[in-house]
Amino acid sequence: MDRRTVLKGLAGAGGLALTGGLSAPALSQGAARTLRFVPQANLANFDPIWGTQYVVRNAAAMVWDTLYGIDSSLQPQRQMVESEEVTDDGTTWTFRLRPGLKFHDGEPVLSKDVVASLSRWAARDPMGLMIKALQQELTAVDDRTFKWVLKQPYPKMLYALAKNNSPCSFIMPERIAQTDPFKQITDYVGSGPMKFAKGEWVPGAKAVFEKFADYVPRQEKASWLAGGKQILVDRVEWVVMPDPATAAAALQNGEVDWWESPIADLVPVLKKNKNISVDIGDPLGNIGSFRMNHLFAPFNDVRARRAVLMALSQEDYMRAIVGDDTALWKPLPGFFTPNTPLYSEAGGEILKGKRDFDAAKKLLAESGYSGQPVTCLVAQDQPITKAQGDVTADLLKKLGMNVDFVATDWGTVGSRRAQKTPPGQGGWNMFHTWHAGADCINPAPYTAIRANGDKAWFGWPSSPGTEKEVTAWFDAKNIDEEKAAVARLNKAALEDVVYAPTGFFLSYTAWRKNVSGITKGPLPFFWGVSKSA
Amino acid sequence: MLSYILRRIVATLPVMAIVALFVFSLLYIAPGDPAVVIAGDQASPEDVERIRQSLGLDRPFLVQFGSWVWRILHGDLGTSIFTNLPVSALIGQRLGPTLSLMMVTLLLTIVVAVPLGVVAAWKAGSLIDRVIMGFAVFGFSLPVFVVGYMLAYVFALELEWLPVQGYTPLAQGFWPWLENLILPAIALGCVYIALIARITRATMLEVLQQDYIRTARAKGLGQGGILFVHALKNAAVPIVTVIGIGIALLIGGAVVTESVFAIPGLGRLTIDAILRRDYPVIQGIVLLFSFVYVLVNLMIDVIYTLVDPRIRY
Repeated sequence: MDRRTVLKGLAGAGGLALTGGLSAPALSQGAARTLRFVPQANLANFDPIWGTQYVVRNAAAMVWDTLYGIDSSLQPQRQMVESEEVTDDGTTWTFRLRPGLKFHDGEPVLSKDVVASLSRWAARDPMGLMIKALQQELTAVDDRTFKWVLKQPYPKMLYALAKNNSPCSFIMPERIAQTDPFKQITDYVGSGPMKFAKGEWVPGAKAVFEKFADYVPRQEKASWLAGGKQILVDRVEWVVMPDPATAAAALQNGEVDWWESPIADLVPVLKKNKNISVDIGDPLGNIGSFRMNHLFAPFNDVRARRAVLMALSQEDYMRAIVGDDTALWKPLPGFFTPNTPLYSEAGGEILKGKRDFDAAKKLLAESGYSGQPVTCLVAQDQPITKAQGDVTADLLKKLGMNVDFVATDWGTVGSRRAQKTPPGQGGWNMFHTWHAGADCINPAPYTAIRANGDKAWFGWPSSPGTEKEVTAWFDAKNIDEEKAAVARLNKAALEDVVYAPTGFFLSYTAWRKNVSGITKGPLPFFWGVSKSA
Repeated sequence: MLSYILRRIVATLPVMAIVALFVFSLLYIAPGDPAVVIAGDQASPEDVERIRQSLGLDRPFLVQFGSWVWRILHGDLGTSIFTNLPVSALIGQRLGPTLSLMMVTLLLTIVVAVPLGVVAAWKAGSLIDRVIMGFAVFGFSLPVFVVGYMLAYVFALELEWLPVQGYTPLAQGFWPWLENLILPAIALGCVYIALIARITRATMLEVLQQDYIRTARAKGLGQGGILFVHALKNAAVPIVTVIGIGIALLIGGAVVTESVFAIPGLGRLTIDAILRRDYPVIQGIVLLFSFVYVLVNLMIDVIYTLVDPRIRY
């Protein structure tokens, strides 16, 4: 008899007195059919159009299907769609749905559902907004056919419908999709391979997804969001764990099966455990960054921005974020995700080689900087921003800048960075963030690279050269034209320092060895994942 | 007594009103904007404004406060900005784990701390006393999360006696419920045990020097009877007071403990709500905690009359 049995016995004796009897422990023979997963963050809401957080997108990908899905070669593939036609002038797209598609409530998926869903999505998504601006009409032709007529061609149509960047164009029943896109849905019926168990949802703690028996997977092999989404477990339970050390211990103890994003500090412990596998989770990784406010001195002068870039050591940033594991990072003399077709280092010389502080100081002086405070917002509750902020403060001080280091939380940064007031009046000069590599594979979902002044992302860079090449990419007819446009874009954005890339970094994912079928990708894919007892 | 209790309950109303005004004002002036968090990184300022309008956050302070108070008076704590679920439902989901954790911790504390304090006072100056007081200093000095990690490492990872994390409702069985609470209760209870053991010791030392204790000894009463029947009963008022005040400690400690042991309780709900600026949830929880605290104080006052018949209201 071990001590646990003794403890159980003792507690059981006490319990009998209080409850009059013991019920069976919450274990069942179906444990192997339940996959317990620790997500990167809390699933606080479940409307993938209203809430654009990655964690919502990741959960939504199980519940709602898309017309097209992006595969591991970053190409859009048919998913709910059986076929499509586009007229020679590129303005009229006609799509036909696969037969037999059903929602979780048993109703068939019809064109009217698609039309309503695309309309809601197009009101919130940057690519959707572009299509909407060109839209002449979006109509259901019959139950399985719908037509999108544009005023002019939009060559990236299929990519827009397939992309995995949030918000994805998930298809919902018409009655749900008619909800105002700025209001949250309350009904979570989809046609994806898993159903959302709304009754078991405890926001901040647990979310449960159950296999949808009537789902009709495609015949092709699954590849990211494309192909046959075969679900091999009955339930997927998301267990939210705010504390990484607890998640690590729970994984080691077998209380959970898969931890989406273990922090680098704990990975060595997990690697030593013979029951745990650890590997790179998302090959598209992340791009670290800080943004300078182009509206106010000193960074309204490109020379001040370039001075910072000249002195910036990406190695310092990357080591601060991921530690000494050199497999987890690489320098990034550009803005686009490494190892993807459009990756470019054009114009990247400023970020390469030995850092030249003397030249940087000289350039900073030429910009007219005279010691005014530089308000640097650093969210302390996000390990990545905190690490970057500490490095930046040191960098600016070495350049002789007067750093006003604002240590705060992400919620405050999120609000303050939207302020266009001067830094001394509630505004800011710099803030730190990072971008999912999946959002930086091309200019379409890459909000941070846009440089259209007032309409650009926080910092409001204005770089006509950059914007010209964004347009060139959208108009590109083939991959060679796309590559050329992005190379020019990269160069222009670095010349004007749209923002400061601090390097490319990867992160691990970890799972128990009785789990198989986990694939690398920009989000956790649950199709093809199985678990043995 | 009944009229006293009623008077006290009525007296809580202005207290709650002041708390409500304070909480609402504090959140109103605090930096951060839930609309920005909801809108996400891609949103335009127009999108953010539209969300702000849909949430009613663009209305003047007094209008927002008035509408909130009106809802509260009708028993409606509002709807979470992020989950779109009623605040009362969210609190209801989380109440069980937090109450369970606090009850087990309280029970553990009383069962361990009071006897330790009594023994330390009885053996004042001896090695036993020093060991107990040494433990008390230890309990005071270690942060809850450090104790939590140490316990989880030893008892969950190394010995595999108990689970690392989680919560199982009592309805699913007594042992599954208790095994998830043992480590968190010990971690949370450490500082509380230390506090009450020290208070018990100090109060008992004072009581044990009273004439009636000497008389009891002279009558030939056994040590146990003297300590637990005569001395402890007379030392109970300050101990009960500290136990009551310590409820606030428990509420604060529960926030950390629930995070370390991944217990889906009110503490975690509070942290999540603060980080996301989910105002209705924060307001609902603070009101609840305030009410609980006022109620606990009332209970303590009532318990005084039970342990000391001289006290009458």
